[in-house]
Amino acid sequence: MRVLLAGPGAIVVTLALLAGMPLWLPGGAAGIDNLAFPLVLAPLIWALLFFHACLDRSIARVAFVAAALLLIHAGMVAPRLLSSPVAAKAVR
Amino acid sequence: MIHLDRPETKAMVALHGWSGILLGLLLYAVVLTGTAAVFAHEIGAWSAGHVATRSAFAQPIDATLRRLTAATPPRYREAVNLFEIGDHGLGAFYHRHELNAKGVPTESGIYYQVDNAGSIQRTVAGDSDDLFGPRNDDALSAFLVDTHVRLHVPNPWGLLLTGILGLAMLVAAISGLLIHRHLFKDIFTLRRRANAVLAHRDKHSVAGTWSLPFAFVLAFTGSFFSFYGTVGVPVVAMAAFGGDVEALTKAVFGSPRTPDPRPVPTGNMDRISADAIRRTGEVPTFMAIENFGRADAQVTSYHNPTMGSLEPVALLYSGADASFIRAKPNVGAVPSAGGTLVGIMGPLHFGTFAGLLSKAIWFGLGFAICYVTYTGMRLWVVRRVGEARTFAWLERVLSVVAFGLPFALVVASAAFLVTMPLGTAVYWTTAAFLIASCAALIAGVVATSNAFLIWLLVGATGGVMVSLPLLRLVVAGGPGWSEAISTGQPIIALLDVAFSATGLWLCRDCFLSWPLVTCVTPPFFHPAKA
Repeated sequence: MRVLLAGPGAIVVTLALLAGMPLWLPGGAAGIDNLAFPLVLAPLIWALLFFHACLDRSIARVAFVAAALLLIHAGMVAPRLLSSPVAAKAVR
Repeated sequence: MIHLDRPETKAMVALHGWSGILLGLLLYAVVLTGTAAVFAHEIGAWSAGHVATRSAFAQPIDATLRRLTAATPPRYREAVNLFEIGDHGLGAFYHRHELNAKGVPTESGIYYQVDNAGSIQRTVAGDSDDLFGPRNDDALSAFLVDTHVRLHVPNPWGLLLTGILGLAMLVAAISGLLIHRHLFKDIFTLRRRANAVLAHRDKHSVAGTWSLPFAFVLAFTGSFFSFYGTVGVPVVAMAAFGGDVEALTKAVFGSPRTPDPRPVPTGNMDRISADAIRRTGEVPTFMAIENFGRADAQVTSYHNPTMGSLEPVALLYSGADASFIRAKPNVGAVPSAGGTLVGIMGPLHFGTFAGLLSKAIWFGLGFAICYVTYTGMRLWVVRRVGEARTFAWLERVLSVVAFGLPFALVVASAAFLVTMPLGTAVYWTTAAFLIASCAALIAGVVATSNAFLIWLLVGATGGVMVSLPLLRLVVAGGPGWSEAISTGQPIIALLDVAFSATGLWLCRDCFLSWPLVTCVTPPFFHPAKA
């Protein structure tokens, strides 16, 4: 379980954060901070999730944190994907 | 110092070892070629014998550009990229933005290669994905950079691979920090009189601890560069721009302005480049003209960070009348935290923020990381070599990669110097690297002992290194020291000295250690088993 959370789990949650963070981060002075921060910090986010999965003795807590981050960010991204022209085209 | 309990420390030690041993050999190759690539520009000047005294941007380019514009079909005059190539020559890429067959944004157009005197050397038409390969005069530096960036694996897989290696390095660096019980004490602990394994572990620990912040920065920025275009941009574009990568690129890098498509001749580019050099004190590394030939044309001049700063400089000019508009961040229309963060990634990774000094420090620290990667893997293997026959072979493989790679790199350099005058350097630089790698592999199989294998590879590397300055002078017809220094290229003489001195030092080391190689367990080459 721990291996799954540290391996594929950390990658999937990082991708969800990468996609979801631009939607809630402030744009800043140039209106690009919400895009730049997730792009730059992605390797560190992955490392944090990876080491959390390796070091936290409570596997339930690791799973809870990963699941919460995944659900919140995937939940924010999903409606946009479904309503985007590309997705709409695919649906049609 | 972070204090972990025993089970967590044990987990971190295992993680540190396995992250190194699983990807360490590839990581070593990426870091070693990256260390050499810090001086890619200087190696390019040394190997091709660059003696032009003035940058392409420091001399008139406007007349050349007008000539190239007249020769370019109008459909490719949407935008122009200008950059230096070869011996202060000018690369001019007239292009338009379009989608390729896969629906991915690309730039299609004509790439002119102009020499320092303004004569067109070569004209190539095609997509930006195919146009900018190695040339005969920069095959060696391009080979180094390509090995470092993607290990010659086709994109996007090559970038993904080096990105994963960057993450492995990040794991090794962080776990290395966490397993230190006495970090500050360990920085200065070198027990020279302890047994061989302990002494080697001390050296690994000291080199690793000192280079830890650098390893962290390199791993972080390196994986950022690898994943930026392959994963990051598509995912962010999908979520925030409905999959429109071009819209994301415009939002991040574009300069918002009111469109004005009226045809207007471009202003004097000499005036722009002279003004940019006056304002920054440096020649541009790159110039981009957007909406070329229109009233809303804009010219952006990109420069390395100025002394004391980490952020690169970009200046914006009106393309129509060549007037200065404003200094702009490399990323975003106005200064912002996100723009600064993206902007400093390059200088932090390439060490280009303080000229040769920062490059030399980056080179030294990169070499330290190579040492740490090699000694780390060696300690792991030597500790287990008595347990199974596989580990003895792993020790041999480690030696082939660790000492065979530098050997193959210097052989590739020698091949470049021999074949550049014949115009076949692009092929033979890579071919010679592969042939030398095969030779190292065969030596790894047939060598009577691991110590002899290392002795052989180190000696051969030293021998080839000593010959490099001679090959450059005699075979490649490169400039002598006085000519190089008088034309402002003292780096040519410096690299000659560096190669000769390192080569002689390696040869001397081999000569002195020959009696030891014949022993069963020579102290330098063959650490004692635990």
